[in-house]
Amino acid sequence: MKHLTTLSLVLALSSGAALAETDITFAFWGTPEEGKVWNEIAAAFEAENPDITLNIEVSDWNSYWEKLRVNFAGGSPPDVFAMSPPLYLDWKSRDVLLNLQPWIDAEPEVLDGIYPVTLEAYETPDGYFGLPRDFQTIVLYYNKDIFDAAGQPYPTEDWTWNDLKEAALALTIDNDGDSRPDQWGLAADLYGPESFMAPLLRSYGADLVSADASETTVDTPEATEAFQFIYDMAVVDGSIPDQQTVASFGWDPFLAGVTGMTLKGHWTVPDYAAAPFGWNIAPIPQGPDGRVTTVNSAGFVAASTTEHPDEVWKFLKFVTSDAGQSLAAQIGLAVPIRESVAMSPAYLEQDTAAIDHQMFVDALDYARRLPSFRGFDEWGAAFGDTLDRVWTDEMDLSEGLEEITIYGNDALDKNR
Amino acid sequence: MGALRPMGIERWWVLVFLTPTLIGLLLGTFGSIFATLGISFMDWDLLTPPTAAGISNYQGLPDDRLFMRSLWNTLAFAGLYVPLTVIISLFVALGLNRTIPGVSFFRVAFFLPTVSSPTAVGLLWTWIYAQDNGVLNEMITAMGGDPVRWLSRSVALYSVVIVNVWGAIGGGMIIFLAGLQAIPKDYYEVAEMDGAKSWQRLWFITLPALAPSMFFQCVLVTINAFQAFDYIYILTRTGNGNSTMPTLVFSIYRNGFRFFRMGDAAAQAVVLTCMIMVLTLIYFRLQKKWGAQA
Repeated sequence: MKHLTTLSLVLALSSGAALAETDITFAFWGTPEEGKVWNEIAAAFEAENPDITLNIEVSDWNSYWEKLRVNFAGGSPPDVFAMSPPLYLDWKSRDVLLNLQPWIDAEPEVLDGIYPVTLEAYETPDGYFGLPRDFQTIVLYYNKDIFDAAGQPYPTEDWTWNDLKEAALALTIDNDGDSRPDQWGLAADLYGPESFMAPLLRSYGADLVSADASETTVDTPEATEAFQFIYDMAVVDGSIPDQQTVASFGWDPFLAGVTGMTLKGHWTVPDYAAAPFGWNIAPIPQGPDGRVTTVNSAGFVAASTTEHPDEVWKFLKFVTSDAGQSLAAQIGLAVPIRESVAMSPAYLEQDTAAIDHQMFVDALDYARRLPSFRGFDEWGAAFGDTLDRVWTDEMDLSEGLEEITIYGNDALDKNR
Repeated sequence: MGALRPMGIERWWVLVFLTPTLIGLLLGTFGSIFATLGISFMDWDLLTPPTAAGISNYQGLPDDRLFMRSLWNTLAFAGLYVPLTVIISLFVALGLNRTIPGVSFFRVAFFLPTVSSPTAVGLLWTWIYAQDNGVLNEMITAMGGDPVRWLSRSVALYSVVIVNVWGAIGGGMIIFLAGLQAIPKDYYEVAEMDGAKSWQRLWFITLPALAPSMFFQCVLVTINAFQAFDYIYILTRTGNGNSTMPTLVFSIYRNGFRFFRMGDAAAQAVVLTCMIMVLTLIYFRLQKKWGAQA
């Protein structure tokens, strides 16, 4: 980075230009299409700030985190990079993120008009070490063709989890008479908590970990009841396709047209827009303790070692502004963090799919963030690995929940 | 062979030409081996400076559930994979070491998996093994059998061994074919004149003459078995990036690059290296013994 800056400085001087150019790098996970849109955003930013050159680096989710760690270890991290809230406090705890508070204190109005729940994800007692970029809320997607064929009424906003369970069972059908289903009720993530298990547990009055993330709480009576519900669907009813089946349908059996419903965020809309069947969305169902969905706001953080914190701040201001958010909204993957943009045609009338995009915004009323703590990935492995043994019927549910508690708490203790 | 020894000034040229490789080996290979050894005695999250940890990373291994499961999976996998690969590729090489029509086609067909992308091949097998619409289960049910859950935990070991053996036959076949073609034809002619039957020629000429290839192949396949990762991961991964049949390399990857635990990952890598080294040493001793007898 330093060399690049020097080089561009030399070039600028030798060509007689008056401005000293600064290079900053923004790395994030995403698809090549997202990379294209972000290059447009970079161009708009550079047009406003001719003295700054913004380099965009896009990688897929897994490579992104690996590259990031290796870049940090090698002493050349990107100036700005994307962050996911469950991992945010882990990264923050390692003292590698830039504290943005001094810049926010100087211009507090930058945060005005941003949805508070998205800001809270980056707020710490020591200040903001990141800012939200966009957000996702989980809704219920349903395949209208499958519901019509089975003569089932479409999901409504009055649905409870039990309504979903009954409909899922009715949609689990063996078409070719081999006494094994080849259509299922619900495609749901049975390994990570974001889209199905966390909302369900919370609407049963339970949670994954205690509020201070000091204890795993998946074996409370409420949590056990919620997990029993999942177990009944996945193992007893068989209305949720198992891992192997999901893999054999390209990891998205809903898009493959073999499940009646799925639970996902807005990120899937551009993919589903091209689906060869009719589909729509409904709010996530309610549980005994009300309706809860998950909100997750991907965001921006900066390396504490960046040599250009002022330029980084200019970039963050731009991408969280109305102009930046409107440009980002055209990707159609996520919901803008500013009400002024989320309630504007830039988001509501995007040309991805003609659905009620506002439902994702309205879901904020009952949305909660995933827990965030040091060692989240390690805890998540204890959670998912053990559940796998429960779903494959190798372990009793109660035994599984006990083991998640033990190994989950180990992971929490090891990372204290 | 003696006539090919470099003389005088040539020796210098040998050194000059080898220097780039030697530097690469010294810095790249040995450098990273020693770095791994060093890191295994430290706690390092890749982000903040490493701190000394003594032998705690090694002490923690027996209590690390993921590591122990990976260790057993890897041992069970190697126990099946090594003998199967060596024996099957030997038979394939014997079968293809003759002038029959289409022999090059079969050689290419057996070698193809070796040069195919593991990801693509893994996905192909996912489809073959799929429970409800997989090719294999379609065939079984068509014949009136019950479908098998090929990638469920109790069967997954055998399923991934099949894929890995299938993928390794080509490489083994090449080594054995080279070994077979290096056996002088005179041996067979003499044996035939003496009235040796074909199984006797196989047993008393081919197999002893193949001992060096066999040894080489065993070492190579054992190392591959302990480093197995790609097919297994693709076949047994779960939606959240875990694996229902974690191997040692997966455990190293996950600790280092997912859990911010480079020290633990390095310690596991050192244990893996030691296991491979011990096995290779055993092979060397066995070869010495056999070599002396032959």
